[in-house]
Amino acid sequence: MMKDMENKMKRRWGMAIDLDKCTGCGECAVSCAQENNLPIFEDDSDIPKKMTYLDVMRITNDRDAKFPDVKVAFIPKMCQQCEGNDPKNPQPPCVSVCPVVATDTGDDGVVSQIWSRCIGCRYCQVSCPYEARVFNWWKPKYEGSFKKSLNPDVSIASRGTIQKCTFCSHIWKKERDKAVMKGELDINAVLYTPACVSACPTGAMVFGDLNDPKSEVSRLARDNRAFRLVHTIDQKKPDEQKKFRAIKNFPNPKVYYLSSKQWIRDLMRFK
Amino acid sequence: MKKIIDYLKNEFNSYSKNIRITLMVLFALVAGFLIFGIQILFWGLGYTDMNNNFAMGIWIIGDLGLVALGGGAFFTGFILYIFRNDKLEPLINSTVLLGFMCYLFTFILLVFDIGQPLRAWFGYTYPNWGSHLMPQSMLTEVVWCLTLYFCVLCVELIPIALKHKILDSIPVLHYIGHYLHKLMWIMAAVGTFLSFFHQGSLGGGMWGVLYGKPTWFRPHYFFLAIVAATAGGTSFMLLIPKIAEKVMKKKVAPAESFQSLAKISGIMFIAYTIFRIYDIVVMSVKYVPLADRSFIDLWGGFFGIWLLVVELACCAGAIVLLNLKKFREQEKFLFYGVICGVVAVVFSKFDAVLHGFSVPNFPWKGFTGYFPTIQEWVVMLGSFATMALIYMWFAKYMPFFPHLEKEKHKEGGN
Amino acid sequence: MKKIDRKDFLKIAGGAIAGSAVGTVFSGAPFISLQWLVEWTQDQHVPSSGLEKYLKGVCEICPNKCSISVRMIGERAVKVETSNSGCPFGQTSLQMLYHPDRITTPLKNTGSKGRAKFTPVTWDEAIKDISSKINGIIKSGKNDRIASINKERNLSSELLDRMVNSIGSNHSYYEPTLDTLTAGAVGGMLDYNFDDADFILSFGARLLEGWGDSASISKSFSRWKERKVKFIQVDSVCTRTASAADEWVPIKPGTEIFVALGIANHLIKKKGMGSGAADFGAWSAIAGEYTPEAASRLTGVPAKKIEELADALSRAKSPVAVAGKGGKAISSSSAEIIAVYGLNTIVKSRSVTTKQNVNFAGAAPIQTAAKFLAESKKCAGFDEFVKTKNFDMLIVNGADPVYKSVYGKELAAKLEKSFVVAIMPLVNDTAAYADYVLPSITSFESKTAAGDPVVKPVDGAIHAGDAVLRIAKMVEGLQQSFQWKSYTDLIALTGKTAGAAGFSFKGDILKKQLADLKKALGDANYSLSLVPIEAPVVGDGDGLAFPYAMKVLGSETFSSGKLYVQINRETAKKHGICNNESLKIITEKGKVGSVKALLTDSVSPDTVAVPMGFGHKFYTRYAEDKGVNPREIMNDKIDPLTGTASWLVTRVKLS
Ligand code: SF4
Ligand code: SF4
Ligand code: SF4
Repeated sequence: MMKDMENKMKRRWGMAIDLDKCTGCGECAVSCAQENNLPIFEDDSDIPKKMTYLDVMRITNDRDAKFPDVKVAFIPKMCQQCEGNDPKNPQPPCVSVCPVVATDTGDDGVVSQIWSRCIGCRYCQVSCPYEARVFNWWKPKYEGSFKKSLNPDVSIASRGTIQKCTFCSHIWKKERDKAVMKGELDINAVLYTPACVSACPTGAMVFGDLNDPKSEVSRLARDNRAFRLVHTIDQKKPDEQKKFRAIKNFPNPKVYYLSSKQWIRDLMRFK
Repeated sequence: MKKIIDYLKNEFNSYSKNIRITLMVLFALVAGFLIFGIQILFWGLGYTDMNNNFAMGIWIIGDLGLVALGGGAFFTGFILYIFRNDKLEPLINSTVLLGFMCYLFTFILLVFDIGQPLRAWFGYTYPNWGSHLMPQSMLTEVVWCLTLYFCVLCVELIPIALKHKILDSIPVLHYIGHYLHKLMWIMAAVGTFLSFFHQGSLGGGMWGVLYGKPTWFRPHYFFLAIVAATAGGTSFMLLIPKIAEKVMKKKVAPAESFQSLAKISGIMFIAYTIFRIYDIVVMSVKYVPLADRSFIDLWGGFFGIWLLVVELACCAGAIVLLNLKKFREQEKFLFYGVICGVVAVVFSKFDAVLHGFSVPNFPWKGFTGYFPTIQEWVVMLGSFATMALIYMWFAKYMPFFPHLEKEKHKEGGN
Repeated sequence: MKKIDRKDFLKIAGGAIAGSAVGTVFSGAPFISLQWLVEWTQDQHVPSSGLEKYLKGVCEICPNKCSISVRMIGERAVKVETSNSGCPFGQTSLQMLYHPDRITTPLKNTGSKGRAKFTPVTWDEAIKDISSKINGIIKSGKNDRIASINKERNLSSELLDRMVNSIGSNHSYYEPTLDTLTAGAVGGMLDYNFDDADFILSFGARLLEGWGDSASISKSFSRWKERKVKFIQVDSVCTRTASAADEWVPIKPGTEIFVALGIANHLIKKKGMGSGAADFGAWSAIAGEYTPEAASRLTGVPAKKIEELADALSRAKSPVAVAGKGGKAISSSSAEIIAVYGLNTIVKSRSVTTKQNVNFAGAAPIQTAAKFLAESKKCAGFDEFVKTKNFDMLIVNGADPVYKSVYGKELAAKLEKSFVVAIMPLVNDTAAYADYVLPSITSFESKTAAGDPVVKPVDGAIHAGDAVLRIAKMVEGLQQSFQWKSYTDLIALTGKTAGAAGFSFKGDILKKQLADLKKALGDANYSLSLVPIEAPVVGDGDGLAFPYAMKVLGSETFSSGKLYVQINRETAKKHGICNNESLKIITEKGKVGSVKALLTDSVSPDTVAVPMGFGHKFYTRYAEDKGVNPREIMNDKIDPLTGTASWLVTRVKLS
């Protein structure tokens, strides 16, 4: 099935986030919540149960250093859109496990999620190494006039289902529909910007097509400041990598982070 | 109405004090199970201590445990019908009932555990088969195998029920029961086949395929779980009739049946322990380092390495007590031996769930803990209580232990 | 025809039933009805659809006035596209617009004050009652017992100032902001040209956390990164700003001023630099005592580092030393603002100038007004006012002094005895004491210089400026000064600024405040310092009302109903505090608690970093009863130049 798509697949959406520019203001998370109709639970300060796609994680190197050398940084983390070892045949950790095909990899490499299909077994959540999947532990509620700000392009999930960041693929669909209206038939014709990326006040997030070597995002992904979240196999020598990948799949996320600070890279390894 | 109440009252008062207390506790748990069950089903899983990080909890431990222990049913059936070890015959009814209930409650707990119980049937209508013969998702496999095996267990259970005096006197039912019984070895074969799969998938494969998570990923986990089920399950199938024996103060099966099952369990524990040690070794030298982490560092936090220590100690206990004749033949040690066996398997499930989820995914996060809420406890214990009550009912009213029937006849004859 | 016997009939009937059962199952009907059951039991809201369009508008939340585009579905605004405009707050505007607790009708207090028990009344009724109260006060000759407090400078605040002043009261105040504080200290608001700066040295000014004009600072910040401009943050906590800066210079809490003096000392003594501004002589004589070594002892910053900073400052072409500690909420002593601003004048920076707000002219005060207007006024002097004066009437325009002022408790007591009018879109802690709450509209609902509002104003709410106009028109003698029909006539007239007057180093203030500071820092009873920090979106408190605010907060700030305070690991060990321990924070004024400890070396020793913005008693369902409000216990010493309590250093202990 995936194999047939190979030919048509042109876009491979990815993201690059410059941590040197990220101020941890949380605007991306608010924008994401607004765009994706995220529900508010009675007590959202119950952090492990709250619904967010984009978690702005505050990290410190308390583990490795002492005052005054301790530093702070912020890592905006959403679904990393893993693709497994083979980008041609994407195998994110979370897709093959779903018993009811509620989540799948699209021909643009984006890991989709269909709320109305999900039975809420949370197996995918268990499999995700980036804690990117969130569950509706309570009934999603939208109070009073707040309902007026809901986006009709994103359906509202039921209690007891998994939701996750989909790289705002509904925006791409909308852009494509617009292009079709204008007579454009090539689905690869349009680009788009997810809500979090367009909201970032300092422009720390860049979104685009990793298959296009000229795009800003693929340039940044090759930058020597770039790394991927807790994906230290990237630092191994190529032959060693090959050996490792022969034994198992690796997540191989499509979200890249950039930082000039060594301590952040050091923190990507478990000690 | 009044008659019924009076009857129940008399019936209740006819038991000894200890049993009365036990019954009261069991019924209270069942009532709690109903109340909290409704709360969970109607208002959601928010009332549990599970969360986005610790996504599964005590119920999944229950599922894994029940399936592994209930797996004793397939293995005992396998030995009895395929290997023709007739010594096990007197225990087979109890075994089948236990297996049946374990699977039934696995289903029930699974329904509680999923967020959308009303959509549970999606598992049959939109299965994730992928493009191969075997299902792509381990959970799809679990759902299908469990369902089919559950049907097999039903078929196996019917003849037991049909042997009841009243039912047996109806000719049609008598014949059905008889022929079904004749077919039993086919059922055992089919059951064994199916059981192998879901033992592997639910107990191990389901976790072993999660390549993003170094605590779980190992390709052989599937097989490890099967061996665990054969070892722990047989212990469990021995433990419960033993307890029944203690409670009823009667011999429910000939000693040789118990001895035979204990021996099988003991041997399987040797196999399991060897496999488990192999597992620990390859995990620490091969699979965990793949993710750039060290095996020993994964053991931390609240659910630490002692889980593993208890498991291995219990394995050792089971091996010694069940394999050495001098221990096995002493009632007390046999009892300890099977308890060790059951505990070892349950702890291997704790290891998979409690330890597995507590491990941080990011280096800057710590180990997490999980403390089930009252709702989770009561739903879980309530299921066990229901199982116990059903078993008690069968033991009292059904021709459950053929040995007992025979003894009774003898007594009547004298 | 063969007679169908009973057996056959049963067979046929059985077959039919079985057949139809199988048929039903295979038709999928049961599944579909289950699906319906699923949906019905979930009772899920389906957002209505409509024609999609994008409206261009201007965001009025901050003075930067970015142009934005709002995605509309029919009449509903569903998304604000800030398109990397730099604004770190704009995304919350829809949550304000459609807040479920928006007030849609004037409210009148019923029952005792401070409980937020209101009944709806009509606009006419409310305006009539309020204006007759004002007329009564004027008649009894107590014109200056009418006061007002604004959240920030905008069209309605200028109108309210005009009204209160024309009545004959000088007591029209602003919550302490960067502008009002610096205006008090240096005689004009500081205007930084961050875009052209090539070296930024910030003294606790948390530039990226809502400080000043945040949209343009964010933009400048990303340009600094591209141009490799050095940005150094001096602070006692590694805040978000310090984490994004090129370098964080950790200091002992509250000692920013000594770093500035140490740098000034080095510049004056070693580089022979100086300033022509007034009173520089007296000031530099005091600064002369703070050699880098002396400053180092007080601040914990190595003397070499101080010299390095001084050198870098003098070497840069257009350096900026940033004064005004804090993020959304600012608190700096005058001496500190002067010292830091002074550095700019010493290195002759071209990137910092001063300017002044000018209200629109032409007001004709009522006859009895003149005799009350003699004393000069401090814009930010509300704290001093609450401490020293009594009033009969307070008009609150969007502000929340009961919550935000360290004199909140004293103010609440006075509000109980006076007549209070609150003009705002959501009931806050101050409005809970109001006799009348008048609903005002939010940024997207108002007409701006750029044109019509993006969405229709909520029924029942009007522009705060209109509310003031309506009241003023009914005050005897004011009609002439308030002839406009609506706020829209004033858009072009307001928001004017002009260049500011001369700057003086005010050596005496420095001397006095340094003595106070040293005394406070030496207090052995209270051996730790409380340093307020701000969480994203929440800021200094207003943001907590937004439903999505909680989405951004991590476990380092607020988790499971508990506020987390950050404490240095060594300090915690010394005081026997462990991670996650519940604590109470105690000062001379009282205590707040309980909060939980988060041990991290990203704060200086002897520092307790406490997030602000929590602990509201009345402020929408989302903000109420969450955490504690540290301002209740903060330092309340009033700064003579600004009239504001400088809560920048509060000595505390923990239990
Ligand atoms: S929780 Fe939903 S999406 Fe995830 S595996 Fe289960 S059914 Fe699939
Ligand atoms: S980050 Fe998690 S949810 Fe996203 S693709 Fe990877 S495994 Fe799946
Ligand atoms: S890409 Fe879209 S869904 Fe994903 S985090 Fe960003 S805004 Fe949210």
